[in-house]
Amino acid sequence: MAAGLERIDRYAELIVRVGANVQPGQLVEVIARIEHADVARAVARAAYRAGAVYVDVGYSDQHVRRAMIEHAGDDMLSWTPPWLLERAKHFGQVNAAIVALVGDAEPELLADLPGDRVGKARMKELGEELTNQTNEGLNNWVVTGVPNAGWATQLFGTPDVDALWDLVEFCVRLDEDDPVAAWREHVKKLGARAKLLNDMRIDSLRYRGPGTDLTVGLLPESRWEGCESTSATGINYVANMPTEEVYTTPDCRRTEGTVRSTQPLVLAGQIVKGLDVRFENGRIVDVHADEGASVIEGELASDENAPFLGEVALVDGTSRVGQTGRVFYETLFDENASCHVAYGSAYAEAVEGGVIDGVNVSSVHTDFMIGGVDVEVDAVCRDGAIVPLLRDNVWQPAA
Amino acid sequence: MAAIAPAIDERLEAYADLAVRVGANVQEGQTVFLTTQVEHAPLARALTRAAYRAGARYVDVRYRDDHVRHAMIDLGPDEALTHSPEWMKQLYRAMEGGAQLWTTGDPEPELMNDLDGERVGRARMKEVVEIIREQMVERSLNWSGVAYPSEGWAKQIYGEPDVERLWEAVAFCTRLDEADPVQAWRDHMARLEGRGKILTELELDAIHYTGPGTDLTVGLNPNARWMSALFRTRDGIEYVPNMPTEEVFTTPDCRRAEGTIRSSRPLVLDGDIIEGLQLTVKDGKIIDVQADKGAGIVRGQLEIDDRAAYFGELALVDGTSRVGQTHTTFFDTLYDENATCHIAYGFGVPEVFDGEAGEGMNISGVHTDFMVGGPELAVDGITKDGRVVPILREDVWQLD
Repeated sequence: MAAGLERIDRYAELIVRVGANVQPGQLVEVIARIEHADVARAVARAAYRAGAVYVDVGYSDQHVRRAMIEHAGDDMLSWTPPWLLERAKHFGQVNAAIVALVGDAEPELLADLPGDRVGKARMKELGEELTNQTNEGLNNWVVTGVPNAGWATQLFGTPDVDALWDLVEFCVRLDEDDPVAAWREHVKKLGARAKLLNDMRIDSLRYRGPGTDLTVGLLPESRWEGCESTSATGINYVANMPTEEVYTTPDCRRTEGTVRSTQPLVLAGQIVKGLDVRFENGRIVDVHADEGASVIEGELASDENAPFLGEVALVDGTSRVGQTGRVFYETLFDENASCHVAYGSAYAEAVEGGVIDGVNVSSVHTDFMIGGVDVEVDAVCRDGAIVPLLRDNVWQPAA
Repeated sequence: MAAIAPAIDERLEAYADLAVRVGANVQEGQTVFLTTQVEHAPLARALTRAAYRAGARYVDVRYRDDHVRHAMIDLGPDEALTHSPEWMKQLYRAMEGGAQLWTTGDPEPELMNDLDGERVGRARMKEVVEIIREQMVERSLNWSGVAYPSEGWAKQIYGEPDVERLWEAVAFCTRLDEADPVQAWRDHMARLEGRGKILTELELDAIHYTGPGTDLTVGLNPNARWMSALFRTRDGIEYVPNMPTEEVFTTPDCRRAEGTIRSSRPLVLDGDIIEGLQLTVKDGKIIDVQADKGAGIVRGQLEIDDRAAYFGELALVDGTSRVGQTHTTFFDTLYDENATCHIAYGFGVPEVFDGEAGEGMNISGVHTDFMVGGPELAVDGITKDGRVVPILREDVWQLD
């Protein structure tokens, strides 16, 4: 018991000091499910120790959401309660630090509900507000995972929370003697990789593999980013823990071809498997899936820009998440095992000039995994040169 | 993989239906605001479902976490203690015209014991409390509270985490064991309403309490009546704010109280337990607080505002109460106040008062009930012409 508590507190310190990088005098928001209470509490303690002026923990409950989807009127599904919008706006205005905890305790809870209602059941205005805040860089924030029985069961078939803790500990480098120093090293490595890609002046990326023949056009202004971000107020933070990716914002008008998802995706409490997507002129025009296609379709109908790409990210097989050889059924982890793209909103900070033409703005952002040993990724440079980036999941460029 | 809908606990669903239909009496199309805590999730979920079944437009659930509160009191700066987030004020203002549900039953009664009592007492969202108070005066929402049996609470009561035993007690006290709990509640409330009517018609000038350590006279308001916990909003929605409820109560003249009163049961306040509380009252004001344990918590509360040390409520309960019949101290005000007579310092009861608040009815950001009743307490009414009317002797109601 004591060892478990110690691990939670060490994790909370890492989340607060390296992830969100909470500053003295900051308001801190913690976004959690009730099943994350033990880590949320440790984060609250760590945040106060770091000098937080107030820690506001907002718990949500998927069972409450389930009841809403089952019983509430159509007009309520995407309604944002005004006080929650006010709350989000306030956290933007005062440049709060934000810690978001993920790790679904009941991944299949909504599986028997109508997919279109599940897909629509998102607080739309709140989503737009948070997208704007992210684009304006108002907050220093981190998204990180919390092991729990339900999530462990999905991975192992048994609720072995300790085994999941071991995996998470490895992925977030908490197994290192000095996790803070290990993260500094890691941040440096991904930063160098981003710089190399920026120097290549890439016009588009090409993906080829089973079921995949996809071209994703980039903007001349697209900028590759490593894992360290800087808020508008100058606070450095690591937005995802774990993170193994370099990413950029594509030209949302120039995606063509077909792509097959290489890993299952958990979305709005449902699992999407065997996803095939076809793009024309940047837009998703066709969605097929062995399971859960209707959730994707529901999300793509959220707003007119939802079916366009907002992010493209490269991950090689040396990633710690990849090394576990596990599907985590949690985007935060799975996207760091493998190359991925996201439909929906783009990250303005990965574009010179912010939200310019070709940068997608939407109330959704959903990553799906398209990388793996069978997928080749090439860069087509603006000078016409074709540079292999990934073969057999191995990073090809020097450095 | 086959989809599995959440397992349904029939007793819990029936309990939630009772709280929603009889307690808060949620109306078709109302927005429902549920304030609960993470350890009460099964009840919170059942209440959410019940509210939607009753036609709620939307159910907003806010989970509190006493561990986060502990972190704030332990490690946070002074200004955090009384901070009322702007959005929280907006949330409470938005409750007007809606229904509210809350849950009680402390899963970790000793959680706050290692903290500085003075800081625990000060840690209140002052501005939010102010809004709640206004809404109570304006009677603008229908609300109710119910308890959730947990291991921690059961352990506090029985010395062992026997949740099932606690569930049986809760089901008995809330009449959930009746074939038709809704009808049982109607009958029960009619009986208590009758008691309130008789007391009001006596037009008493004061109540006199006598017992070991107790000799207290509290003046009554001529423009306050006695009632049971069958409330009505200004729009006429009838609701029962506490389940269980066994009391008839009034709001006294806060300017007229003299003597001493000894608490007959422990009081749980902000996670702390106060035992052997003894108060001395002069000119309506509590001027001395003694206790075997936890006196500092009460003293801290009485300093929250300048009207906290005046009485706001007198409530009478006899030994036939279902809560009383369990012969159990629940360490939870919702239950214990219904086992026995109690008095509250702080905010009065607007529902029973006709007139300007402050003219006799106390106004404060605090309302804390403490238990004074039991077989050794005698309660008399004093009429305007000085006649003594026995109301309670040895826990037996004298006026039925």
